[in-house]
Amino acid sequence: MKTLKKFAHVNAKTIDEAASLLQAGHAAVLSGGTDLLGTMRFEVLPTYPEVLVNLKTIPGMEYIKEEGGMLKIGAQTRLEDIAKSALVRKKYTALAEGAHRTATPHIREMGTISGNICQMNRCWYFRNPDNRFNCIRKGGTTCYAMVGDNRYHSIFGAVKMCLAVNPSDTAPALVALNAKIKTNKRLIEAENFWEMTVPGSTILAADEIVTEIQVPTPAAGCKSAFIKFAIRKSIDFPIVNCAAMIGNGEARICLNAVYNKPYRALKAEEAIKGKTIDEANADAAGAAAVASAKALPGDRNKWKIPIAKTMVKRAILACA
Amino acid sequence: MSEEKTRPTKQENNEGSGHISRRDFLKDAGLAVGAPALGSIAVSSEAAAQAKANDPAAKGVTASAAKPAAELTAVELTVNGGKYRYMVEPNWTLRQLLRDEIGFTSPKDWCGGLGACGSCTVIMNGRPILSCLTLACECNGAAIETAEGIAKAKHPVIQAYINNNAFQCGYCTPGFVCTAKALLDKNPNPTEADVRDALGGNLCRCATYQRHPPAVLEAAANLKQKA
Repeated sequence: MKTLKKFAHVNAKTIDEAASLLQAGHAAVLSGGTDLLGTMRFEVLPTYPEVLVNLKTIPGMEYIKEEGGMLKIGAQTRLEDIAKSALVRKKYTALAEGAHRTATPHIREMGTISGNICQMNRCWYFRNPDNRFNCIRKGGTTCYAMVGDNRYHSIFGAVKMCLAVNPSDTAPALVALNAKIKTNKRLIEAENFWEMTVPGSTILAADEIVTEIQVPTPAAGCKSAFIKFAIRKSIDFPIVNCAAMIGNGEARICLNAVYNKPYRALKAEEAIKGKTIDEANADAAGAAAVASAKALPGDRNKWKIPIAKTMVKRAILACA
Repeated sequence: MSEEKTRPTKQENNEGSGHISRRDFLKDAGLAVGAPALGSIAVSSEAAAQAKANDPAAKGVTASAAKPAAELTAVELTVNGGKYRYMVEPNWTLRQLLRDEIGFTSPKDWCGGLGACGSCTVIMNGRPILSCLTLACECNGAAIETAEGIAKAKHPVIQAYINNNAFQCGYCTPGFVCTAKALLDKNPNPTEADVRDALGGNLCRCATYQRHPPAVLEAAANLKQKA
């Protein structure tokens, strides 16, 4: 096993202390560590953090409670606790199922909800050990997936020439449930939370830390669901996943692992809004969702398009 | 499982049970041959001596020899009921601490530290976690259980794994056993689906997967009988 190169480690006691450490630069946030330590061990990035700021030692960041018409989840809450919570399973089904389908039981026991939504994008060129491919996401000038093997890459085009996809399973659930993400600086709509940066995947500033996830309680008559397609039932990142919340004439549908950030399927929402949920309508909505999808030159990722269509259809049917 | 069949743990060796495990034999043989030539081996003998000094069975709780670096953190943790105190570097993983320093060798490395295989699973504060992705310096005050502890406590899951032949080469087995024990601690009445779900993060290259659910369900039944 490759050993981790040296770094300093600080147990933060407050959010402000952690933020000031991050402001100083060359620092990385450590919560669950399931993604970060792997990328550090294999030196995926051209830079190596000098300081790891441990957020797990900040008290009062691990909770699941319903308050003021919304579900509040502390940023350091483990995914397994969210997946097992009776409250989340009952009313916020898509989020519980998204958390449950993330990675493996061990990683869910360690990984946090904030880490899951802030994880870096997934691309085998980007993730290659020892920074072998200095791609756009690392400050380079080439997207190696553009001409290389891109069978798992974006079906909705590139963002700033990057074809990597966001692999989070909880992200589409949060978008479908119209959640907000609270940081130490502001409150962000889940839909606007993700953005292609170098090398990150969120709009967060360097010293910004997620503190809470807020999910409005779905109106009575609304149902939500999450469906994931992956090679294996456990362990794997999604090929395509989809979360939906439908009811009361409203519909919110979000796909992930198909684009640089969670992809809200607005056309599918229009197609199913106010209609009865049945096989034919769900199928039509699925077709609408991928109407603008396009395989990359060479058609290596063409197979993802019918899967995305079916994921949308099944997510809608699960909301019946 | 009878006492003779249990592979002796380090503690048992130190207590003078007379057993020499295959691992200790190889380690000593390697030392004798390689020590004059290889500096790194000398370091490992130092680590072994440190492990002995830290062995609660032999000496009670003692501090390890201080290493000359300012950023070392003192970590006090309970492993399989024994208390250990170590000065650890920030970049040490829990797996490194357990294996290389303390001497509990059941957390294995397979995927190289990506969290993809589950072979390094240990139970920390009731949660099955990956020791390769846990920093040792964050384990202060933690209660850790490894497969050695589960075997020594004669937990029914061990005998159930033997009865069901739920392994071939055995490399992944400590990880499976820890995961299964953590599941049974939380959920004494698991269904087969629960078991499959809980073991979903452990890989077995020999593909003994079909034998794990019956083994864990048998262990659950035996646990209930015992209680």
